[in-house]
Amino acid sequence: MEDRGTVTVLTPTDQPGPAPETPTHLSPPTAGAALADQLRAQLAPDRIITDLTRLRTYECDGITGYRVVPALVALPESTDEVALVVAACARAGVPYVARGAGTGLSGGALPVADGVVISLARMRRVLDVDLVNQRMTVEPGVTNSDITKAVAAHDLYFAPDPSSQTVCTIGGNIAENSGGAHCMKYGFTTNHVHAMTLVLPDASVVTVGGDGAEQVGPDLRGAVIGSEGTLAIATSVTVRLLRKPEAVRTLVADFASAEAAGEAVSGIIAAGIIPAAVEMLDALAIEACEAAVHAGYSLDTAAALVVELDGPTAECDEGFARVEEICLEAGATHLRFAADPDERMLIWKGRKAAFAAMGRISPDYFVQDGVIPRTRLGEVLARMQVMADDAGLRVANVFHAGDGNLHPLVLYDAAVPGESERGEHLSTAIAELCVEMGGSITGEHGVGTDKACSMPKMFSEDDLAVMKRLRAAFDPDGISNPGKIFPTPRLCGERPGPYRVHPLEAAGLIERM
Amino acid sequence: MTESLTQPRPETAGTGVVRPTTVAEAAQVLSGSTGSVLFRGGATQLDWAGRVPDPDLVVDTTDLSGVLTHNPGDMTASVRAGTTLIALQDQLAGAGQWLALDPPTASAGATVGGLLATGDSGPSRLRYGGIRDLVIGVTIVLADGTVARSGGHVIKNVAGYDLAKLVHGSLGSLALVAEVVVRLHPLPERSVTFTGDADAAQATAAALALAASPLEPAAVEWASAADAGRLLVRVDGTEASVDAAGRSLTELLAGLGVTLTALSAPDATSAWQAHAAAVVGSDDETVVRVAGLPSDLADLAGSAQDAARVADLRVVVVSSAALGMHTVRLSGGSPTGHAQALTQLRGRALERGASVLLRRRSPELDGLVEALGPPPSSADLLRRIKAEFDPTGRCAPGRFSPWF
Ligand SMILES: Cc1cc2nc3c(=O)[nH]c(=O)nc-3n(C[C@H](O)[C@H](O)[C@H](O)COP(=O)(O)OP(=O)(O)OC[C@H]3O[C@@H](n4cnc5c(N)ncnc54)[C@H](O)[C@@H]3O)c2cc1C
Repeated sequence: MEDRGTVTVLTPTDQPGPAPETPTHLSPPTAGAALADQLRAQLAPDRIITDLTRLRTYECDGITGYRVVPALVALPESTDEVALVVAACARAGVPYVARGAGTGLSGGALPVADGVVISLARMRRVLDVDLVNQRMTVEPGVTNSDITKAVAAHDLYFAPDPSSQTVCTIGGNIAENSGGAHCMKYGFTTNHVHAMTLVLPDASVVTVGGDGAEQVGPDLRGAVIGSEGTLAIATSVTVRLLRKPEAVRTLVADFASAEAAGEAVSGIIAAGIIPAAVEMLDALAIEACEAAVHAGYSLDTAAALVVELDGPTAECDEGFARVEEICLEAGATHLRFAADPDERMLIWKGRKAAFAAMGRISPDYFVQDGVIPRTRLGEVLARMQVMADDAGLRVANVFHAGDGNLHPLVLYDAAVPGESERGEHLSTAIAELCVEMGGSITGEHGVGTDKACSMPKMFSEDDLAVMKRLRAAFDPDGISNPGKIFPTPRLCGERPGPYRVHPLEAAGLIERM
Repeated sequence: MTESLTQPRPETAGTGVVRPTTVAEAAQVLSGSTGSVLFRGGATQLDWAGRVPDPDLVVDTTDLSGVLTHNPGDMTASVRAGTTLIALQDQLAGAGQWLALDPPTASAGATVGGLLATGDSGPSRLRYGGIRDLVIGVTIVLADGTVARSGGHVIKNVAGYDLAKLVHGSLGSLALVAEVVVRLHPLPERSVTFTGDADAAQATAAALALAASPLEPAAVEWASAADAGRLLVRVDGTEASVDAAGRSLTELLAGLGVTLTALSAPDATSAWQAHAAAVVGSDDETVVRVAGLPSDLADLAGSAQDAARVADLRVVVVSSAALGMHTVRLSGGSPTGHAQALTQLRGRALERGASVLLRRRSPELDGLVEALGPPPSSADLLRRIKAEFDPTGRCAPGRFSPWF
């Protein structure tokens, strides 16, 4: 289930993204040069990059529309070295951004102009494997897939499985609280981390979490996971490993409409079955995937569901028979069963290639990541169609249907004047529609630079102010990945229609559902 | 909230108790008062960690209760924090669902908000995760009355910081938990509990063997007894799958010298009730929670027994064996004996990398032994968080003393 080499998501456009928020204590470029000299003396000189050509490698993450060249890139090889670089930044008042593989899809690892990028790419060691207690401690640059590879022979694996897993790092997974196709049953990164070593913005080193499943005091481990590199840099991570399930059963069911497919999903949930994964692809998405991967999806169907069950054989088989019935009751027009592990891999390869495959059917596209209460799927799809028609653009849909995590792909052609602006507007409007439906602007890609301006749609000023108190406790000077998550007037300008609590909602009489 | 209680008067001697009924009322109470404040839910876990001496104000969440939403199709629900877990489960059961949480204090009226603030869990944590894994949104009220929300009503959501994690385990020291949104699970079609005699070493081996097997039991618990101890293993599933799993695990544990037998439904219910009571303990006992590596069960149980023997105390160890969480209950003897045993056990457990939380002790112990062990490496950070969230230090002062 790997899609090697398919991580470039967006076609680069030469339009620069909005300028990132610059911290008030912006240092003159000379500060960068002085810092580089100082760090070269402390780290090996070849681990400090200041050459413009090489710096360009770090100017963006998976969202290539936002680009900023940093003053320098540091490549530390240990916790102590990370602390040393952070200390130097703190002393000089220079902001820094941690970076894993740069596959993020929200501009989270976007550098700060005249700031430092701390790349964890050289911290790729496995520090400890404890098979008996099913856990493993790794450095942050280890890729998601390499964790599983290291213990696969012992029937263990790391559950979070983002489609980018062969490339993205555990450090990035921590920062984004990444999920994957299987998080409906198994949860996200936060559910699979025991402990972390962190370097705080004052360069102190702390451990959060621990050997035990319970710790005394607030769950700092959980507070840092998903904080998008704004609170701390993780320099070692102890992950929880799971025993491979005894059985895995996978099917692909075709439906004449997305609504019918949605009904099947509701039926599965109502039957008390928790599938390991339920993914939906619409006709456009299937067309793209098939062009790229030839995974055998039907080209003449409006929607397809990939349903996977796993667990003890008896339980899995019983549930799978029910799923088959439910799909047929909901009007499935065709069922395909994965006959063996290879066929299952092929089905997943098709699904996981979806983003990259869009290049086959459109010159450019935006990847969206919103969440809705699953039961409102039909309504949301209909609204999205109207919005797409109004914008004169096509939207392909792949989503984690079980947990309502939508990945609408807004297709456009940057060569046609005005299309990229329309596409961007449509994509943002879709994310904000998710909030209106009682959902979220992001299910797994994070807020980063890209969605900071949508945060007020979801949270009140007080909500954000309290979150900033947490940031202030970790990073009083705001040097760790500034300009991400929180909206700033400079980045967002005056945007209409901020979040307002409806009076009835405030009284607890209605909910945004 | 009654009239006389809406205006807490912290300046008068003694403790005022207020019972807000909405988040807005709770915010008003906090913004309109000063002085130390203790948040109280079902009052089942108020003794954990450091004691809060004579708070000026108690904010009792008993009336801040009720299920606000339940969306069976989305498997989510939201509740006011003072809703008891039992009341919530009752309501959810109608739709064949539950909040997959079975803390030992449930029957005594533990509230959802209180459970989040303590982070307590029960045997089912093995299969379904703890409360931190089940909460998807939270509304908190800070000491100054600021109301903040994080997360939301959808299971998958990474927008903004996760404040629910921050209050998890905070024992009322950072903010009042006012509303909680949770993800639900379908009630299992069938559950079967198996039991068998096992000493600590066998329990460790059994827990590790089950974890290494693909059997996915819902709970693997152990309790010490005069004659070694007893395992309780529960399997959740469908009619057919539970039988199959039961056969496999009986066979697996037989290989380790543990003979399991299935309990009838009523016997299983009383076995689990007794097990929960054994975790809670009683007022005159010292109850310590130790969480470490699952493979350290026998070692930690042995340490508890050694510590008790030296101080001439009785000891019971109750373990979530596959999770490495142990409750040690010390009774009998003198306060000095309890203090001595606690110090010895804590030292040994911390050496093994385990965490140690004092859950209960008689007031006589207070002068004799610290409630908390040595501060963690994050103590400074915790202090800064406390200063940001509760600058005047009014929320549960003393709870985490001397850490913060
Ligand atoms: C084709 C494709 C498919 C994808 N599919 C999924 C998917 O299915 N599910 C999903 O959740 N995501 C998916 N993603 C998004 C992305 O891969 C994840 O967010 C991933 O976790 C990012 O990891 P990274 O190492 O590339 O991090 P980067 O992009 O380098 O960084 C991401 C963020 O993490 C911070 N960071 C990096 N390392 C550390 C560290 N050690 N300590 C603290 N902060 C750090 C950065 O500052 C930044 O804010 C996909 C991306 C692509 C390109």
